[in-house]
Amino acid sequence: MMSAAELESSSKHGSTLKMEERKAMVETIDKGLVERPSFSFRLQLSLGFLLLFILSMAIIIGSMTAIKHIQNKLHFFQASERFLFEVEQARRWEKNYFLYGTNLTDAAQSASNAKILLSQSLSYQKIDTEQATQISYNLDKYREILEELVILDKRSGIDLAQKQLIETALRKHGAEMVEVAVSLTLKEQASINALLNLIQQIPIYALVLYLLIMIYVAHFLAQRFMKRLNFLIDATQRIAKGDFSPIVPIRKYRDEFTTVSVAINRMLEELDTRQKAMVESHKLKAIGNLTAGVAHELNNPINNIMLTAHSLLEDRKDLSEEELVEMINDLINETERSRSIVRNLLDFARESESTSEPLDLGMLVRQTIKLTENQIKVSGAKIDVTVQPNLPNIRGDKQKLKQVFLNLILNAVDAVSKDGIIKIDVEKSASPGFLAVHVLDNGCGIPPHILPFIFDPFFTSKAPGKGTGLGLSVSHGIVNMHGGRINVSSEEGKYSRFTVLLPTSEIPADINRH
Amino acid sequence: MEDKKVDVLLVDDEAIVGNRLKPALTKFGCQVEVFEDPKEALKRIDEKEFDIIVTDIMMADVNGIQLLEFAQKKSTRTKVIIITGYATEALAREAMAKGAFDMISKPFRPNDLREVIGKAAKALGFKERTVA
Repeated sequence: MMSAAELESSSKHGSTLKMEERKAMVETIDKGLVERPSFSFRLQLSLGFLLLFILSMAIIIGSMTAIKHIQNKLHFFQASERFLFEVEQARRWEKNYFLYGTNLTDAAQSASNAKILLSQSLSYQKIDTEQATQISYNLDKYREILEELVILDKRSGIDLAQKQLIETALRKHGAEMVEVAVSLTLKEQASINALLNLIQQIPIYALVLYLLIMIYVAHFLAQRFMKRLNFLIDATQRIAKGDFSPIVPIRKYRDEFTTVSVAINRMLEELDTRQKAMVESHKLKAIGNLTAGVAHELNNPINNIMLTAHSLLEDRKDLSEEELVEMINDLINETERSRSIVRNLLDFARESESTSEPLDLGMLVRQTIKLTENQIKVSGAKIDVTVQPNLPNIRGDKQKLKQVFLNLILNAVDAVSKDGIIKIDVEKSASPGFLAVHVLDNGCGIPPHILPFIFDPFFTSKAPGKGTGLGLSVSHGIVNMHGGRINVSSEEGKYSRFTVLLPTSEIPADINRH
Repeated sequence: MEDKKVDVLLVDDEAIVGNRLKPALTKFGCQVEVFEDPKEALKRIDEKEFDIIVTDIMMADVNGIQLLEFAQKKSTRTKVIIITGYATEALAREAMAKGAFDMISKPFRPNDLREVIGKAAKALGFKERTVA
């Protein structure tokens, strides 16, 4: 087994808040979550469909209008055809009249028919006014001349020159009228064809447009949906790492996921309470462990006091002044020693609110080692402490940090065999603004397959009843709370090294909170 | 034979224990050698056969059990008395199973130890001593 695995767990958020403050904060955040205007996915979906519906309606209305338009144009076209036919008929009669002197009344009749048809077709379709007036004008002129001609013809007093003049005028107006009418009809025909083409293409364009809109809506919704989902996934991962700070609203609107966020915040509150209880219970367990050691530790000074007091009692008359003073000093010193042992434990065990004070990390580590001295002695292991001189202070909770180092040292004691060596180094970390405490043991190491789980609550590799599985989890929580990190590297059968990084007090612990 | 002093070797890494017990046991008719360093004690045991060895069970480097085993290898006659503390019951039981004569728990009075030493000396055939 030569694989060394490294696991790093870090947290950017931490909470050093008291319970009530936290509760109030969570309530404010929840309020913030809920009081945003609602823009639910149901609404978004409905809006998407509404948009599609409006679009379909627009396309259908457009198509219907276009068809109606074509219908009008067709009517107009038919009327124009008939108009042209009548006009041409009139022209033919007119020609007959000038050639054979017949059909003049027929021509007049056809012309007035054309007039009726013209007004009819104009009712179907508005056309260019200039052309319309041109046609009407020419038609009216044509009819006028024809009627004049009819009257003249009836009086039969028409001379050739006058007839010639009338014929020329008649031809001019007739030709112009036909010309304009034909061009108009052709134009209408072209526009009908164009419209028909358009109507043929509308479904294709509509289909493409639908496709694009649907893709956009689906993509947009899916993306929004996934973003929310990923946000929650990130949140749960953060929570799994032990960061119990609540979910804060980041968008302007709330939606279905807001309910989930609120539920998660509720859960976080519970978890935080449990975590605190867990830390406390683990501390009690640690105190239990220590108490056994401390009781043994206390035996020595008490025994010394007992022996010295009895010797004094027995030999008080035979002892020299010097010997008496020596023994009394022993009594005083040993009492002092007992007091410091008890004080050390009480200092650790004392129930207290989280505090933050400037701390000498080297001193703190040494004090913790003192607490564990007896356990180390029992195990037969050696402990070797090196503290780099002139380290800056850190800020934090003395007792909680002691708990962390206590856990690490006791774990190391459990891991090493009789002649094991535990090396503790307190030094400036490679990452600026941090101090590092390395706890290195040459013990059994951590198998790579359990390395990722060692910070999980209730995970333990110790025999049933021996470990709570809370030590590292609690330590991790405490270090996070101080804005620090715990790293571990280990090789099975060779060593384990836990590194606690804590920010120095020159750089505030929450510099990387944002 | 009866006037002969009991040869006692006492090991405890607490200096005061030796300082107080040496005169207390000398008064009790013992010839006492005191060691704070168990390694030194082992050397001495190797050199000389003691009647009684009194050893603390919990010491750095060499513990009471190792000392007991060494002494027994050296001489079956030597009686070993183990001084135990709290949280070392398992070790103490092991010591008894390995043939320690008796054990005495810290904190104890000088007389408590004298009593145990008296019993051991008697078992070795010395004249019975009374504890004052």
